[in-house]
Order: sequence, then C-alpha cells, then structure tokens
Amino acid sequence: MTGQPMQVFEVFRREREGGPMQHAGNLLAPDPELAAHYAREFYGRRQESVRLWIVPRAAIRDLADPDLLQPPFDRDPDLLQPPFDRSFKKPAGYSAEIKRKLAEARARAGGEGAEDDDPVAASGREGVEQA
Amino acid sequence: MTAQAAEQLDQQARDALAGLLLAMADDEFVLGFWDSEWTGIAPVLEEDVAIASLAQDEIGHAQALYRLLTDLQGGDPDRLAFGRPPEEYRHARLLDHPRTDWAFTVARRFLYDTADAARLDALVASAHRPLAEVVAKMRREETYHLLHMHAWVERLAGGGEEPRARLEAALERLWPDARCVLGGLDDAPLVAAGVLAEPLAAVEQRWLDGLARVLEPLALPFPFRRDGDRWEPTKAPPAAGCRGPRRADDFLWLWEQFTMVYRSDPEASW
Repeated sequence: MTGQPMQVFEVFRREREGGPMQHAGNLLAPDPELAAHYAREFYGRRQESVRLWIVPRAAIRDLADPDLLQPPFDRDPDLLQPPFDRSFKKPAGYSAEIKRKLAEARARAGGEGAEDDDPVAASGREGVEQA
Repeated sequence: MTAQAAEQLDQQARDALAGLLLAMADDEFVLGFWDSEWTGIAPVLEEDVAIASLAQDEIGHAQALYRLLTDLQGGDPDRLAFGRPPEEYRHARLLDHPRTDWAFTVARRFLYDTADAARLDALVASAHRPLAEVVAKMRREETYHLLHMHAWVERLAGGGEEPRARLEAALERLWPDARCVLGGLDDAPLVAAGVLAEPLAAVEQRWLDGLARVLEPLALPFPFRRDGDRWEPTKAPPAAGCRGPRRADDFLWLWEQFTMVYRSDPEASW
C-alpha cells in the first residue's frame, strides 16, 4: 500500500489511572506512526483508555522461542510444566488442603454437622427452621 | 446562542454570521458523507475504521454548527441538513468532487483539513461565544485529522511511482477548488464585529504558510510563489460560484443519496 510491508502491532491499554496495562488486541500497520493512529481508533476514541502502548509483535519474545534459551545438552527445560505437584506453593492449594483435613477431622469426631464443611451456613439454616 | 450575544450584532453581521455557519456546517456535512463512502472498501481494515471515524467526526461537527445556526435564526437542524434542495447548500466546490481513489480522498482531505484549521484558528476567540465554544471542541478533533492526513500525504508522496503520481494528479486537479474553502463569504462585517479575527484573505495566507512547509519539501504541487511577505498564486483563481448555487452532477448524486430517507417522509420523527 505505501511500499512498506504490513506488520502486526500488539496494543496494551490502561482503562483508568492506577490500573494495570492489559492486552487490548492487535492490528496491522506499515509503521509505528500509523499503528499509533489505528490503536487510538480501535482502543482509545471512546474514552475507554487513559494510556496505550503499541508494541511491534516482532519485539515480543516467546519463552518457547528456540533461539532465546540455550539449555545444556539439548535438554527440554520444561519451564512452564514442572513435573512435580507444586500445589503447595499456591494459596488455593493450601486452602483446599485445609478443607480436606477439616472434613476428615469432623468425620473422625462423628456427631452432627459432620457432613457440613461450612459451619456458618449450617447454623444459618438452623436459625431459619427455628423461626 | 443567548439572546444577549445575538443582540450585540447588527443585522449585517448577523446575516454574515448565518452565512459563515451555514458554509462551515455544509463543508463538514458533505465531506463527512463523501468520506463515509469508504466504509467497507478502504485500503486496509484499519484504515476503514479510521476514515469512517473521521467522517463521523465531521458529521458531528456539522450537527453542532447547524444547531448554532438554528439557535441564531430559528428552524430545525435536521431540516437544514436534509430538507434543502441541492442549490441551497453552501459548501465549498472542493467538496463537489466524488471520493474517486484513495490518493484523491487523501489530497482533498488534506487540503480541506488544513484550510479548515486556519479558519478555526481565526474563530477560536470569536466574539460570538457559542461559536468559539464549538470551535474549541472541533479543533481538538481536527488536530488528529491533520496528523492522520499528513501521515498519508507523506506516505503516498514517498510510496513509489504510482501512489505519488496519483497524489500529484489529485492535488493538481483540486488546487483551484481548494481555495474556495476560504472564499465565497462576506467576511468584512464578521471582522468588524469581532466574530472572525482577521479577513479570510489573511487566513488564506496563514493556510499557505503551513502548506508550503509540508508540500515544498515533498516537491508536491503548490501553485504559489513568494512575493515579499505574501503568497501569490501562479495559476488562475477559482471560477466564480465557489459556494454554489450551481453544483456538479457528482454532488447532485450524493444529495440524492443522503436525503433519500429524509425525503421519503419529511414529517417522520426519528
């Protein structure tokens, strides 16, 4: 069109002051200046953004790019899928484990409410019945 | 428009103001319709969105200007926009040309946007406050229009043989009519009343100052030469009737298009 090959630009936007930059989408343009114009048209002309970043996709490195990391002995470094269970590293994994242990403890103790793993909800239900 | 502001103008200035508002509104309105024709067929999807957005901006400016006019003299903005016969439109002849090819659209928009910017500069401190307020808002959007059209002029000029040839041909063809954007109006009463900061002839000189800085380095057609502190045209001035009433067939076709729905039932409520 203008002699320049078209390139993909990735656009990031900030919705309001203090918010994070988040991926908005992408577009094609022959150069950064027109990419900025189009980014503004796509993601900024209805006051939906207070800031835009326009990044040539070519500048983005993918962790899996074969020329980015050089693992020794041609091994697959497996950086995104570790082979062991690492759920203990996550808050969600911890609370799920606590819930499981609590349910086990209740089962061992026997008695009423053993089926409920949420004592607050259980007491609320009783309250409704009394009324 | 407040009654107080209107009363400050004598009848001659009010008539001239009405003429200015109608001319500006029709300029924006007709350009908006021509450029909206690119919707779906612009060179790339991204430009399709951009040119449609620019066209919508112009329709919005026209709406604000038609309202200023009906505030001044009564009437209905929709009826002004859609309910007149073609010979009553007062847009500049530059806007009678069809959209043609992309280079032609860019050339026309560039000439219009730069002339309009010079005109808005002379209105931003207008004694007619309602106009000054609308102009302040228009300028914010027109700044982006200028950026975008400037980017395209540069790219077509340096984009190889065919884009450049098409841009040059379009500029050559449009130059005489481009001068109509700052012509065809009774500006003396407006300057006297403080509605317009300077005569349109002075606005044209400022417009040409700015254009020379863009077009001369790109060696694009610019049919003026420096004479002391003025630009003198090297070609014949535009023919009479810069703002009608006689219109090219292309505009008559566009008028048929953009008034079609309104004419089908002028009394309908939208």
